[in-house]
Amino acid sequence: MWAELRDLRENIDFGTPPRSGTEVTITVDGVAVKVPSGSSVMLAAAKAGKNVPKLCATDTLEPFGSCRVCLVEIEGRRGYPASCTTLVEEGMAVTTQSDKLQALRKGVLELYLSDFPEQDIEGGWSEFHNTLQQCGVSSHPYEKGDHHQDAPVDESNPYFLFDPAKCIVCSRCVRACEEIQGTFALTISARGFESEVAAGPNHSFFESECVSCGACVQTCPTQALVEKSLFEGGYQRG
Amino acid sequence: MANPIKPDRSVVTTCAYCGVGCSFKAETYQGKIVRMIPWKEGKANHGHSCVKGRFAYDYYNHPDRIRTPLIRKSIEDPWQEVSWDEAIDYAASEFKRIQDKHGKKSIGAVSSSRCTNEEIFLVQKLVRAVMGNNNIDNCARICHSPTQFGMSATVGWGAASQHFDSILQANVIMVVGANPTEGHPVFGSLMKRRIREGAKLIVIDPRRTETVDSAHCKATLHLALRPGTNVAVLDSISHVIVREKLYNEQFIRARCEWEEFEVWMGLVGSDRYAPEVIGPQAGIDPEAIRQVARMYAGGPNSAIYYGLGVTEHSQGSTGVMCLGNLALACGMLGREGVGVNPLRGQGNVQGGSCLGSWPHVFSGYRFVTDPEVRSSFEGDWGVPLDDEPGLRLPNMFDAALSGHFRGMFIMGEDPVQSDPNQHHVIAAMKSMECVVLQDIFLNETAKYAHVLLPGSSSLEKEGSFTSAERRVNRVRKVVEPLAGYQDWEIVVKLMNAMGYPVHYDHAGEILDEIARLSPAYKGMSFDLLERIGSAQWPCDENAPEGTEVLHTVKFPRANGRGTFMLTEYVPTIERTNDRYPLLLTTGRILSQYNVGTQTRRTANSMWHPEDVLEINAEDAHVRGIKDGDWLSISSRFGVTQLKAKLSKRVNPGIVYTTFHHAKSKANVLTSDLSDWATNCPEYKVTAVEVVKAAADTQTVSSRKIEALEETTA
Repeated sequence: MWAELRDLRENIDFGTPPRSGTEVTITVDGVAVKVPSGSSVMLAAAKAGKNVPKLCATDTLEPFGSCRVCLVEIEGRRGYPASCTTLVEEGMAVTTQSDKLQALRKGVLELYLSDFPEQDIEGGWSEFHNTLQQCGVSSHPYEKGDHHQDAPVDESNPYFLFDPAKCIVCSRCVRACEEIQGTFALTISARGFESEVAAGPNHSFFESECVSCGACVQTCPTQALVEKSLFEGGYQRG
Repeated sequence: MANPIKPDRSVVTTCAYCGVGCSFKAETYQGKIVRMIPWKEGKANHGHSCVKGRFAYDYYNHPDRIRTPLIRKSIEDPWQEVSWDEAIDYAASEFKRIQDKHGKKSIGAVSSSRCTNEEIFLVQKLVRAVMGNNNIDNCARICHSPTQFGMSATVGWGAASQHFDSILQANVIMVVGANPTEGHPVFGSLMKRRIREGAKLIVIDPRRTETVDSAHCKATLHLALRPGTNVAVLDSISHVIVREKLYNEQFIRARCEWEEFEVWMGLVGSDRYAPEVIGPQAGIDPEAIRQVARMYAGGPNSAIYYGLGVTEHSQGSTGVMCLGNLALACGMLGREGVGVNPLRGQGNVQGGSCLGSWPHVFSGYRFVTDPEVRSSFEGDWGVPLDDEPGLRLPNMFDAALSGHFRGMFIMGEDPVQSDPNQHHVIAAMKSMECVVLQDIFLNETAKYAHVLLPGSSSLEKEGSFTSAERRVNRVRKVVEPLAGYQDWEIVVKLMNAMGYPVHYDHAGEILDEIARLSPAYKGMSFDLLERIGSAQWPCDENAPEGTEVLHTVKFPRANGRGTFMLTEYVPTIERTNDRYPLLLTTGRILSQYNVGTQTRRTANSMWHPEDVLEINAEDAHVRGIKDGDWLSISSRFGVTQLKAKLSKRVNPGIVYTTFHHAKSKANVLTSDLSDWATNCPEYKVTAVEVVKAAADTQTVSSRKIEALEETTA
């Protein structure tokens, strides 16, 4: 907890909180890097200057491992572990870029895109848009099926809105409300495809326990939660 | 398109609301502020924010902002728009005329904790070097002046011993007379984080605040004492520590004055402070007092955080001393995770306190009566300085009523709304010949002003704030000042017009002057703050990047040792009787800030459209009061109206309100009693009666005040 808060940097998102421990050396894409034990592979990669694409991870929140974008290869291990939830071990050799990894990430991102407002794929500047760009993804091959594009926008809070059409259910807002603000106003209701961010049962944000601290808006990677002040003349879909 | 506009520029600056001092990135688009983003590298907030700093910034561009200087000969006249030169010349000539006729000491100034260190320093320089007296006070008079006095007396410095992050090492957190989750929300979140990790929480507060009991924050022990019994209860906690030998003898022998400790033991150890005696007086279970004492002394790291619930009493300074005594006796000072920490209400109360906005001290709390200190300022400023301490704010009002004080410069303050016994203040304001107000809005005090100088908000100027953790943070200009000048530039103009030529190229040169003349700020400069972001004083050659934890080796007292002050409990004379059977106490709510000048002009009012009176169901029932009824609340000083809110947060016999809305006139009710040492008003204890009112009138009447007004008409 101690180092976690104090080693944050404005222009680098290490992906998981910094830790304080004895130093461990690993290599990331051939670059040797020293990080405290307890650190994630993702953090070590960021320190080595090899940023792994990510969506649900950020260095102000504990790792969660839900978005499946930050997959890496580790020498001697099977499969493609999520770098945010995998801890460093002495001598570990990590690969963050390969054709296989690229294909896996592309597949995941295309699925996210298939349920994202089509007209907003171009011209966005959110973390999600940056990750799409980083992975070279700008479209998806899927037919229009079930989707969340018509779910009502919650504009009850005077300062920010929640558009479920842009939500990828990464839970960063829920975790920020718990871990950073300590209010526990948000939750994920229902399961699977039906799951969505909710401010309590049948509550709008304004009616809920929400204290409007802005932590959820700050951490949202897709601008599904976003300041109203960034829309001149009000928010309009499409 | 539903993609948001992308801000084209950003500036890192410091929030101007509470004393936490959060860092923000103010983002603009085509020259207009479009959002405030908490800055991850901010040492106080680590990327977190609250509803005020994050969202309630729109007041800066509100139509109510004054954009042109205004003057009028009499407060009966309409305001007249004038040029800057005309307004400044008029103010200067009036001040000089008054001084020529009534003497040097017939004018003075009040500065604000919403202004920067540089501006606060300049205002006291205006008074000392230009007006030639020491009639300078600041709004900390009415909030944390007892902190300065009480902590200096015990541990040597009137400032937080820790940095905020220190709480992450605490095992026991004791919150006294404060409600961090509402008043200091970002610190409140840090505190809750530590509580979720297993730290124990003790709360001493008459009200079951959100800190005591909310969904994910529960106090292990809560002493819901009667307002006004702080000192008795804290002495009783000390009694248990002494009698059960829970004190840290090794620490006391190594770091404190042992003889003074023994004398103190004699006082608090006496039978009259036994929990079984004090408990019934304070309305709490004696066993709970014992448990608090054992838990605090047990630590291993126990940290005290306190607010205005300690200071705003007739024994406010004594209450602060009690906390200092406790921490010294248990060895809870000088390392991370412990300490005694005031939670400051306004962004720059610590700065206001440090930088000589007091009638008796220069910056760094050095006495105006000390010839050596005075000569260092005289050397720098090139004029002889007055060696006699000046008037405190309440004394300025008293002197105004008796005709000895006739002109006042008020920067960024609204004493008519925020100071106690409002009618007395109004009568005093009316009796002055020239009141010059520098503010961003026409506030309540403006009704009694002769010159209005349109100030700049913190988003429109360069400078620095000193937060409650002694951290000096940079304030940076995000947009141009609406009325043309930064506040410090206006003060310079006034100094020049009054015949004292002075010039600064930029605000950083004022910080350089502060550093030159104030030991704790010796190493501070805009360059340093640019390089490392922020620094906590003391900052000097021994600590070139500032100091996080104070008192690690010795205490800043002559002999380097902490000492124990005798803290005999003297009950306030403000007491309940048959006519005024309830005790009113006051506090804050998350969405509103202080007197609401800023937050009421934002959408934050959606959460708190009006102040209400919290009353226990038992007290409401016997008076036939239902939730939402209009009430008439009367004290010995005045009457006001508020809506009822039946609440379990207050015990029977206690009522509670906030003072964010001018129309509530909570300070019509409060007494003119004040702290024995510092005159900090006793806002937290007022005997009142509450009855159902016919309808919403929110008008005011008071015989005492009418009488006062007649005498000064």
